Amino acid sequence: MLEVELCSLKMKNPMMLASGILGSHASSLIRISKHAGAVVAKSVGLEAREGYKNPVVINYAHGLINAVGLSSPGARAFAEKLNSFKTEGRCPLIVSVFASTPEEFASLTSFFPMADAFELNLSCPHAENAGMAVGSNPELVREIVAEVKRSTEKPVFAKLSPNVLDIVEIGKAAEEGGVDAVVAVNTVRGMSIDITSRKPKLSNISGGVSGEAIKPIALKCVWDLYKELEIPVIGVGGITTWKDVVEFILAGATAVQIGSALFYSYRMLYSLMESLRAYTRQTGESLAELVGKAHE
Amino acid sequence: MYCVKVEKVVRHNKDTATLIFDSILPSYPGQFVMLNLFGYEEIPLSLSSPRSITVKAVGETTKALVNVNPGAIVGIKGPSGNPFTPTDTKALLVAGGIGIAPLLYLHDYLIAEGANVHVLYGARTADELVCLERLKSYEVATDDGSKGFYGSVVELAELKPLRKYERIYACGPEPMLRAFHRLLKERRLLDKAEFSLERLMRCGMGVCGSCVLPEGFRVCVEGPVFNAAKLEW
Ligand SMILES: Cc1cc2nc3c(=O)[nH]c(=O)nc-3n(C[C@H](O)[C@H](O)[C@H](O)COP(=O)(O)OP(=O)(O)OC[C@H]3O[C@@H](n4cnc5c(N)ncnc54)[C@H](O)[C@@H]3O)c2cc1C
Ligand SMILES: Cc1cc2nc3c(=O)[nH]c(=O)nc-3n(C[C@H](O)[C@H](O)[C@H](O)COP(=O)(O)O)c2cc1C
Repeated sequence: MLEVELCSLKMKNPMMLASGILGSHASSLIRISKHAGAVVAKSVGLEAREGYKNPVVINYAHGLINAVGLSSPGARAFAEKLNSFKTEGRCPLIVSVFASTPEEFASLTSFFPMADAFELNLSCPHAENAGMAVGSNPELVREIVAEVKRSTEKPVFAKLSPNVLDIVEIGKAAEEGGVDAVVAVNTVRGMSIDITSRKPKLSNISGGVSGEAIKPIALKCVWDLYKELEIPVIGVGGITTWKDVVEFILAGATAVQIGSALFYSYRMLYSLMESLRAYTRQTGESLAELVGKAHE
Repeated sequence: MYCVKVEKVVRHNKDTATLIFDSILPSYPGQFVMLNLFGYEEIPLSLSSPRSITVKAVGETTKALVNVNPGAIVGIKGPSGNPFTPTDTKALLVAGGIGIAPLLYLHDYLIAEGANVHVLYGARTADELVCLERLKSYEVATDDGSKGFYGSVVELAELKPLRKYERIYACGPEPMLRAFHRLLKERRLLDKAEFSLERLMRCGMGVCGSCVLPEGFRVCVEGPVFNAAKLEW
């Protein structure tokens, strides 16, 4: 009842681990893969990158704000780390990549033979010359997707930012470039100030908001993309309960990603899976049947 | 995050100091805080008592912390992490270098619980041994023989009847902990022992995944204190 097929990936349930959450080591990805439909590793670029100084993540009443700054050991070293997922992982592995140019994006895929699909980070809100900086330009998005598709046979997803005037325009550009699915959304730009020290709490001053606060924003993006695109939409942003998962599916998401909610528990996906199982038993419909139902 | 004031700074030697806060942080021994010295970095530090940290200068932030003036305001996240499991029987504490920090808190806590506590404490030189006045029963080891046993703290532990302790707690540099792990394994005492581990930490709240061990545990949430038998060393 929970199984879904997403661009030829067979998933035991529609829940994927979102990029950047517990995705820097094979050991945590393997542990989460037990109950996940798929896992997305931390975004990786060609070269090693330090990221910003601590504090890079803060929590507040309605979610998290992060400016990790795409810290990464670089493609070669990360691929080595991910190798053990091939034998021990229990679900498809999606490798998230970031770069500045179409050619650089395309050059990354060959490092990861263990990947079942690729996600293009066109949406990190706090990195220079990467993420949103490249993903806000429809022309460039089309070129990036087309170039990456030429470099690999595997499914390619484009992860979009909500910090644009029209997310559908970017989604369409990715579709025209030949992308297999869109992922919506990455974090929403935001910040927080400590009133005692009178300083911004993040070392980078501002970052991206995730968690419960952004759910309505993400849901609306999924709704709009589902209406206008032919390809599957993967919903992400603020999913914390099984009801949130159902809401995103009804809005048009074929699958969802979950990140910040792992703040509450490493076993989050397990408990959501059990609740979703009970829900489908009660309704008698599989989750796959519910995709986009709220549009009818 | 919230702020506390540094009320008092006790300098132990040229690169180690204890910073005492103006308020008690509700906590258990073994727990750590993410401490933000504004203008520097936010770093993980174990509590050395419910209202202090004991820091060794190894880099930019720790250097600045050791030299901080009383009255300074610092940001705190936590205390968080998995603490040591207490006992009220016989306990052995094994410290290497600045690894003494969380064990100082544990030492006081166990004594208040009525435990019989003995400490083995090693450092490179006599000068690096700090807070000895806080310890009730201890033996020290130095790499250069300038005080106590001439050799490492693990070599000192090897000479001891480890079996007679109900619980063994250790914290120190990883090579020391690995050597001690081998010793405990040989003597089949691993499940009696708890180790406090260090990893590079970023978020300190279980989401970013920087401090994940090969066993799949997060040092910031499932740790920093682990049962030694759980470590595949
Ligand atoms: C749970 C936990 C508890 C800790 N408790 C204490 C404590 O009570 N007292 C204390 O003095 N130190 C403690 N540390 C270590 C302390 O966090 C590091 O020394 C500190 O982050 C270094 O920051 P820096 O900017 O001064 O040095 P940097 O310039 O960042 O680094 C200096 C050197 O220290 C190494 N280093 C940096 N961060 C860490 C880290 N997290 N773990 C291990 N090595 C690191 C670097 O690789 C480098 O060699 C603890 C670490 C953890 C994870
Ligand atoms: C600490 C942290 C790090 C993140 N790193 C990445 C990243 O490297 N690449 C990426 O595409 N998204 C990254 N994200 C965004 C998440 O994948 C996700 O899109 C966002 O957090 C919204 O989902 P959530 O509310 O379930 O967390 C990160 C989020 C957080 C909180």
